[in-house]
Amino acid sequence: MADLFSNLALGFGVAFTPINLLLCLIGALVGTLVGVLPGIGTIATVAMLLPITFGLPPVGALIMLAGIYYGAQYGGSTTSILVNIPGEAGSVVTALDGFQMAKQGRAGPALAIAAIGSFFAGCVATVLIAVLGAPLTKLALAFGPAEYFSLMVLGLIFAVVLAKGSVLKAIAMIVFGLLLSMVGSDIETGASRMAFNIPELADGLGFATVAMGLFGFAEIIRNLDAGSESDRELVQQKVTGLMPTAKDLKDSAPAILRGTVLGSILGILPGGGAVIASFAAYTLEKKISRNPQRFGRGAIEGVAAPESANNAAAQTSFIPLLTLGIPPNAVMALMVGAMTIHGIVPGPQVMQKQPELVWGMIASMWVGNLMLLVINLPLVGIWVRLLRVPYRLMFPCIVIFCAIGIYSVNNAPVDVILAGVFGLVGYWLIKHDFEPAPLLLGMVLGPLMEENLRRALLISRGDWSVFLTRPLSAVLMAIAAFLLVLAVLPSLRKKRDEVFVESEN
Amino acid sequence: MSDTPSHGPVNSVMPKWVRCPQDFVGGLALVAIAAFALWASSDLQGMRGFSFGAGTAPRMFGVLLLLLGVGISVMGLLFEGPQIAKYHWRGPFFVSLSILVFAVAIRPLGLVISAFVAFLVAGMGTPETRWKETIIVGICLTIGCSLLFPYALGLPLQLFPRFLIQ
Repeated sequence: MADLFSNLALGFGVAFTPINLLLCLIGALVGTLVGVLPGIGTIATVAMLLPITFGLPPVGALIMLAGIYYGAQYGGSTTSILVNIPGEAGSVVTALDGFQMAKQGRAGPALAIAAIGSFFAGCVATVLIAVLGAPLTKLALAFGPAEYFSLMVLGLIFAVVLAKGSVLKAIAMIVFGLLLSMVGSDIETGASRMAFNIPELADGLGFATVAMGLFGFAEIIRNLDAGSESDRELVQQKVTGLMPTAKDLKDSAPAILRGTVLGSILGILPGGGAVIASFAAYTLEKKISRNPQRFGRGAIEGVAAPESANNAAAQTSFIPLLTLGIPPNAVMALMVGAMTIHGIVPGPQVMQKQPELVWGMIASMWVGNLMLLVINLPLVGIWVRLLRVPYRLMFPCIVIFCAIGIYSVNNAPVDVILAGVFGLVGYWLIKHDFEPAPLLLGMVLGPLMEENLRRALLISRGDWSVFLTRPLSAVLMAIAAFLLVLAVLPSLRKKRDEVFVESEN
Repeated sequence: MSDTPSHGPVNSVMPKWVRCPQDFVGGLALVAIAAFALWASSDLQGMRGFSFGAGTAPRMFGVLLLLLGVGISVMGLLFEGPQIAKYHWRGPFFVSLSILVFAVAIRPLGLVISAFVAFLVAGMGTPETRWKETIIVGICLTIGCSLLFPYALGLPLQLFPRFLIQ
């Protein structure tokens, strides 16, 4: 316990330096902006801003990138509630009840509850990271290659279970991602694999490049497809009476609590993340509510729970990254990229060797959440005005920003072209109802999986049963198998589809 | 979003026995990708005793993707499902062209020209573009980028064409 406080004190010492405070603020603001604007997601933004952090000290870079991630969760809720346009996938469900509340003239309370819920969830998640960090790091030391491999299999299976649509297609996307991660030099022998003597491919496909293509360019192309924009029906009554009533608070308090718990759990699990968490929290609220018919008609729980959940998940997803060195989702994978650029290998040793980095980032999350709470509500007017910028002007700007961003990672024009190619690939995937998110996760985990698989088999002298005879690994594999069976069972499939159908309407 | 293609008989190029062209074609494409990867990694060394060679993992994942692709195609034959969604050429074409223009021009011509031209090309991606407005925004964006990236962020980007500087 004493350790915990001294660690947090160290963290706050780092986070409260003026430069880090400023970077935290910039990150949170940019994140909110991205969350507000539809058509540009967190993944593309973090990929785009990666080169910008080159010149910063490592702590500052990570603080800013983390700020973008959780800031986006805040921003997404604002537009969901006011305009019924979720700027961010994580806040799709918030729009269901939030916009109804706004129509009833209760936009103020909805925004306030979303912000309060997010802040509460952020605080809990920060403490959770601090508490779980050290013990999980110890657990990580008990992990051998076999356990690491099994854990990643479990993570990928999780991503499959939580992805929408066909299980077979989701698995195929993961394997496609694994295959893409093989491009480049083999770690052990140095042999060039599938690089076709293109020097830019010798180091493998850049993760940021692929992410930008699949999530930046593909998204733009798809939005252009949709043709002329649907009218943005702005709720233009003045947002008055920000303060929720006592009844609002009483109604939403348990929902916030449940959302926070659920979000924290789903964030830690590999393959989870903010989007899944908000869907799950909304479904849970509806399930346990005494009168579920209120949902979709402006129930305040329907705003409180998913907003708390997505913010909690956004933050707890740092736990596997910081303790085990395994990125649980695509944004975390980009954080790995940012760390590697600064020469930091994420994993248990970071906590021990560079505590000021880890704890500084954790403390900054709390500071950032506080900043968001303070700046977000007064800025609502500006964010809404930004939505008036028509997409025909916005998308060329995004294209150019993305292009400059990718180019400046390696100063390589080929990277820009590759991202363009992956943009078309992503467009094709969308057209065939394949989800790009599992692909990206597969690509992230590919090299780690191969390395640990090879090591595990080398140690066991080629005996594949090692994954089942080592107890920890066997447990992880058993959970993975169990989940996979559950996912293909018809009854659960139906329910899973319901969740997604609901959120799309 | 309105991407989920509609069910039911739309005039399709697929024969009737393909019940879900979307999955059928998608699966076949994955098979093609897997086959290509297997071919591309065929020159790599395989297992050496019980230790992996450079080619083992790529081949493993390649075969796996091949099987999954076949599985998806077969499912597309057996179960009713959506048609292939409609493709539009305008957005993809001009956005890709814009990216290409930027990539080709950034080295020899510098940031100012390549960003502005790429911006205009991207603008052609939608019929809604009003040129006056687009050009003004393009100029503003170019100026903004020229200040932001090389100066504020200190990235080594060349602003003007090489032949003008020399």
